[in-house]
Amino acid sequence: MKQVKRAIGKTLAGVFLIYVVIVCLGPLIWVFFQAFKTNKEILTSAFALPKSFRLDGFQVALQTAPILLYFRNSVVISMANTVITVVAVSMAAYMTARFSFRGKQFFTLLLSSSLLIPVSSLLMPIYLLLTKMGMIDTMRGLILIYAALGLPTSLFILQSTFQGIPRELEEAAYIDGAGVFYTFFAIILPIAKPGVATAATLHFITSWNEFMFALVMTKSASVRTLPLALNYFTSQFSFNYTAMFAAIVLSILPSILVFICLQEQITASMVSGSIKG
Amino acid sequence: MRVKKHILFVFLLPCAFLFGLIYLIPIGVVTATSFTSWKIGSDIHFCGLENYLSAVRDPNVRVALLHTLFWVVLQATVHVALGVTLALILSRRCRGWRAIRTISMLPNIIPASALAIIFLRVFDANGLINSLLSVITGKPVQIQWYFQVKTAMIPVTLSWLIYSGLITILVLAAILGVSTELSDSAKMDGARGLQIDFLVILPIIRTTIGTAVIIASTSMLKEFELIFLTTNGGPGNKTLNMPLYLYKTSLIENNYGYGNAMGVMLILLGVGIVFGVNRLFRMDESVY
Repeated sequence: MKQVKRAIGKTLAGVFLIYVVIVCLGPLIWVFFQAFKTNKEILTSAFALPKSFRLDGFQVALQTAPILLYFRNSVVISMANTVITVVAVSMAAYMTARFSFRGKQFFTLLLSSSLLIPVSSLLMPIYLLLTKMGMIDTMRGLILIYAALGLPTSLFILQSTFQGIPRELEEAAYIDGAGVFYTFFAIILPIAKPGVATAATLHFITSWNEFMFALVMTKSASVRTLPLALNYFTSQFSFNYTAMFAAIVLSILPSILVFICLQEQITASMVSGSIKG
Repeated sequence: MRVKKHILFVFLLPCAFLFGLIYLIPIGVVTATSFTSWKIGSDIHFCGLENYLSAVRDPNVRVALLHTLFWVVLQATVHVALGVTLALILSRRCRGWRAIRTISMLPNIIPASALAIIFLRVFDANGLINSLLSVITGKPVQIQWYFQVKTAMIPVTLSWLIYSGLITILVLAAILGVSTELSDSAKMDGARGLQIDFLVILPIIRTTIGTAVIIASTSMLKEFELIFLTTNGGPGNKTLNMPLYLYKTSLIENNYGYGNAMGVMLILLGVGIVFGVNRLFRMDESVY
């Protein structure tokens, strides 16, 4: 009886695993194959494999929409704002993790309260602010917004990182007459590298995928990011399915490749970024 | 340790500047202007609770709020349950568990805008789902899933409901962090597989599940592109949610005061959910 029960349990678990794999991987594989089929093949059968692996679709997609330009913009914006967030937050987190000062609790509480705010509610005032500052439709504007959006999660990760570093190291440095700046940048930050990398990875992915602010704050192709390329495609490619599927493949490929290469790092960063300190 | 005032100032400034500019000032503006009548081309003036009163009467707000709450509840229950189930299965470390963990994360790691376009194609008239149904039923099926009043909710909801990879990695990390001594001693007492899961493991990782519920449900307060790029809230307002209606009111109709009143409602909803879940899962109490 016990064995029967266990067999049933194993089967159910197996079925669930198969379901997960199909649901998560199926659509992606399907899109990949569609990108190599001709328009006619796509319209006649959704399942048939492509007759040949021609790259026509990719060529047309790259010609019709500035995917490479959008890709470059995404790289620049995501990198710049990740550096800003990580530097700004690690400086503040070092202060709150190591020193006592008046208003420390208030400062930490205020910053963590940003976790509660659905950012979509701030769309209009941020738009207004950027317009006033002359940063609408610029990379600077998006970099500024994304850098701020990364504050709450980065703060959690970095604060606990600094708290985990033994104090003796810095105390020795201070006794030797090193200043706070030198100690922080030359001694503490290098030791805190794993935590910094964790915060940076998580934030890089978030800003790489962001859509709503990018859509509202930018207009011209020279500053738009990769997720917006697809917005462009829906109407542009309505008659050329092959090119549209090729465009989808091009827009998801960088994320998937980066994820597979940095898997452990990303998984760890998502775990520590979501567990509150 | 103590630190000199000017050094403290320099170290906190960048962070405080970003926070003030993108969170603090906008929150102030949203709250203050939600009590004003402010549209494009007309002067801003105080109007008390007028925006909130018209929001109560606005059928679009009612529908958008209802959909948002419906999705919040679904995410907090079904979505989290799917993620936890997968985590419990993978925690047995069966063959290929790492690969399945990776695969389950893929839909969360690609841009949501790409997922939206993929779903639009999968549920297209001659897309994957209809072709599958044609094969099963033996006659051609051509349902416009996204664009019919009766069916639009299905693909929209599925596009986030079934992808709980993030929940899985959170819960899995917590389960693997539970000391094996606990489940071993439960085994000695005669507990078996599922009993250990439900009576030992899940209560211990209660706070992680609480965090998962917060992440899953509050994500629905900012869900935008998976609706905007597919149905844009339609047909009619059948799939409209609060962020999308806020976007349309503020940036398409340029009715800023009214849009910001919706912003305030979203913020209150977010705070309410977080405090509610915190109490429900007694997240401030220690586990043992």
